[in-house]
Amino acid sequence: MKILDRRKMIAVNGALLALLAVSLVACALIGPVAIDLKRALGDFFSPDAEILFRARLPRVLLGAAIGGGMAACGVVLQAMLRNPLACPQMLGVSGGASLGGILGMIFFPNWLLPVAGGFLGEISWVPLAAFLGALLSMALVYRLALFRGRLHPYHLLLTGVIFNSFVAALIMFLNSIVDFYQAQGLLFWLMGNLSTRAYPTVAFIAGYVAAGFLWLWSHGVRLNLITLGEEAALQLGVEVASVERQVFLATSLMIGAMVSVSGMIGFVGLMIPHAMRLLVGSDHRLLLPASFIAGAIFLCWADTLARVLLAPAELPVGIVTAFFGAPFFISLLYREGRKLPV
Amino acid sequence: MTRVMRVIAVVFLMLFLRQVDAAAPPLRLVSLAPSVTETIFALGYGGRLVGVTTYCDYPLEAKKLPKIGDFMNPSLEAVAAKRPDLVIGVVGATDPVKAREMERLGLKVVLLPLANLDDILKSVRAIGGLMGDERAGKDLAAKISVQVDEVKKRIGHAPRRRVLLIVGHQPVIAVGGRNFIDELITLAGGTNIAAGAAQPWLNLPDEYIVAKAPEVIIEAGMGSEREKANKRWSDLGSVPAVRAKRIYPYSSDKILRPGPRFGEALGDLARFIHPECFADDKSKRSGC
Repeated sequence: MKILDRRKMIAVNGALLALLAVSLVACALIGPVAIDLKRALGDFFSPDAEILFRARLPRVLLGAAIGGGMAACGVVLQAMLRNPLACPQMLGVSGGASLGGILGMIFFPNWLLPVAGGFLGEISWVPLAAFLGALLSMALVYRLALFRGRLHPYHLLLTGVIFNSFVAALIMFLNSIVDFYQAQGLLFWLMGNLSTRAYPTVAFIAGYVAAGFLWLWSHGVRLNLITLGEEAALQLGVEVASVERQVFLATSLMIGAMVSVSGMIGFVGLMIPHAMRLLVGSDHRLLLPASFIAGAIFLCWADTLARVLLAPAELPVGIVTAFFGAPFFISLLYREGRKLPV
Repeated sequence: MTRVMRVIAVVFLMLFLRQVDAAAPPLRLVSLAPSVTETIFALGYGGRLVGVTTYCDYPLEAKKLPKIGDFMNPSLEAVAAKRPDLVIGVVGATDPVKAREMERLGLKVVLLPLANLDDILKSVRAIGGLMGDERAGKDLAAKISVQVDEVKKRIGHAPRRRVLLIVGHQPVIAVGGRNFIDELITLAGGTNIAAGAAQPWLNLPDEYIVAKAPEVIIEAGMGSEREKANKRWSDLGSVPAVRAKRIYPYSSDKILRPGPRFGEALGDLARFIHPECFADDKSKRSGC
C-alpha cells in the first residue's frame, strides 16, 4: 500500500480546518437578527451577547458536530458496505431514533431527567428516548443481518433500508393520530432540524461524535483494504468481521446521538463523502478527517441558510441540505459517468 | 315517453326537490371543523349533527357523535353515508377539491370564512340563518361582541405589551401574522412579536425572541406546569418575560378555535397580558 503523503495530509486537513474556523465565525455572525458585535463582546449581559453566545453559537457548533459526524459515518458505511448509496439513514438507526424521540415527545412531553442527581440541571427526556430507539433498532437490524456469526453487508443494507421505511410508516401513522400541536413538532423531526441547545447538550453530542470518529479513523487502513473486497482484505490479514462489527457499533452510536437532537438530516452523509473522494482520493486515513471537516462546514452553512432564508421563520435544515445536495450530487454522478470508457 | 323526456323529468324533479330543501331548514348536518361544531352546539342545534371530525371534542356531546374523518382529511364516503342535507366547512381549511366532490355527489356544501373576528361574527350569523333561526345567530354574535367589548373596556389605556405565543417548544412554533390568534393578541392589549411573518405558524429561532424581547410568553396547548415552562427559558435571561417570570402555560384549546369561545379566549389572554386590569380591587387597576 502506498505510504500516505504526510504533506498532503497536513495541507488538505489544514486548509479545511482553516475554512471550518472561518465558517464557524461567519455563521455565528449571520442570522435573522442583526447584532452589535462591540456590545456583544463588551457587555456579557447585553441581549446582543445573549443572542451571539447563548442562541447562535451553540447551534452553530452543534451543526458542525452533526455535519461532521454524518459525513464520517457516510464514508465508512460506503466503504464497509461497498455501496455508493450507503448513508446514515440506511442503517435504520436514524429511523429508530426518530421513532423513539417522537414516542418520547408524545407520551412523556414534560418529563425531565435530572443529570447527576439534579446538580447539573435537567435535560429533556426526548433525546434520551431517541437514543434508546437508536440502540434498539441497531440491535434489531444487526441481529437480522447476522448469519453464522458474520455480518452480511447486503442484508444489512436491505434490512436497514426496509426497517427505515417501516419506521417512517409508523411515524406517519402517529402523525395522523396525534393532535395539532404535536403534529407540528413531529414534522420537524422528519425533515431534520437544528435548534438551539444548551452547551452541556452540545458538548455531550460533540464528545460522542468525536469519540466515534476517532474509533472509525483508527480503522482507516483496514477500511482501505475492505473496499478492495472481502476476500482480498481477508488475505491481507484484516479481520473483516471484527472491523465490520466495530464500524457498525460506532456509527450506530454516533447516529443515535446525532438524530436524538437533530432529527433526520439527510444528504450530508451521502453527498460529502462522494465529493471528498473526488477531491482528496479514497485513502480513508485522509478521506475520513477531510470528510468530517467538510461535512461540518457544509452543515454550518446549510443551517445558516435555513435560519435566514425565510427570516424570522426557520426552515428545517433538511430541506436546505436536500435542495442543494441533490443537484450537486446528480451533476457529480453525471461527470463521473462521462469519464467512463467508451 | 322518449329517453330525453325522462331525463328532463328527472332534472325537473331534482330542481324541485332542491327548492324544497332550500326552504326547509336542514335536519342532518355534517360539520367539517371543530369551530363549526362548536358554533352549531352554541346555537342550540347540536342535535341536528350527524357527523363531525375526530378533532371535534367540544362540547363533550360532540365527542360522542359519529366521526367522518379528521379536520384536514374528511372521508368522502363517510360524509356521503350520513346522507346529510347540509355540510358545513371552513374556507381555507376544508379541501376545496373535496368540497367539489361532495357537491358532485349531490350534497349541499357551505364553506364559511373564519380568518378573523369579523369572519367569525358573520359566520355565526350565517350558520344561524342556515338553521332557519336568524335570531339565534344574531344573539350569539352579539354575545361574542359584548365579551370583546368588555375586554377592550377593561384594558382601556393600558400600555401594549410584547407577546410571544407558542404551541411548541423544540423547535419553538409561534403564532405569526395571518392567524386569527394574532388578532386575539392585539385585542387583548398585546403586540405579537412574530406578527411580521407571513406564515400563520412559524418556527422561531431563539435569537429572534431575544431580539424582540417579549414581555409575556404564552405557551398554548402544552399542558405543562408552570415550573417546567419557566425552565426551558432560563438560558434566555435577558428576555423580560423570563426575568419577570411572566410565562404562562395555557392548556385550553379555546384560542385555537375561531368559534363561539372567541370572547372567552380573549378574556383569558387579556388576563395573562394585563393581569393588573383584572384585579378584584378596583383601586389597584392602575394604568388601565
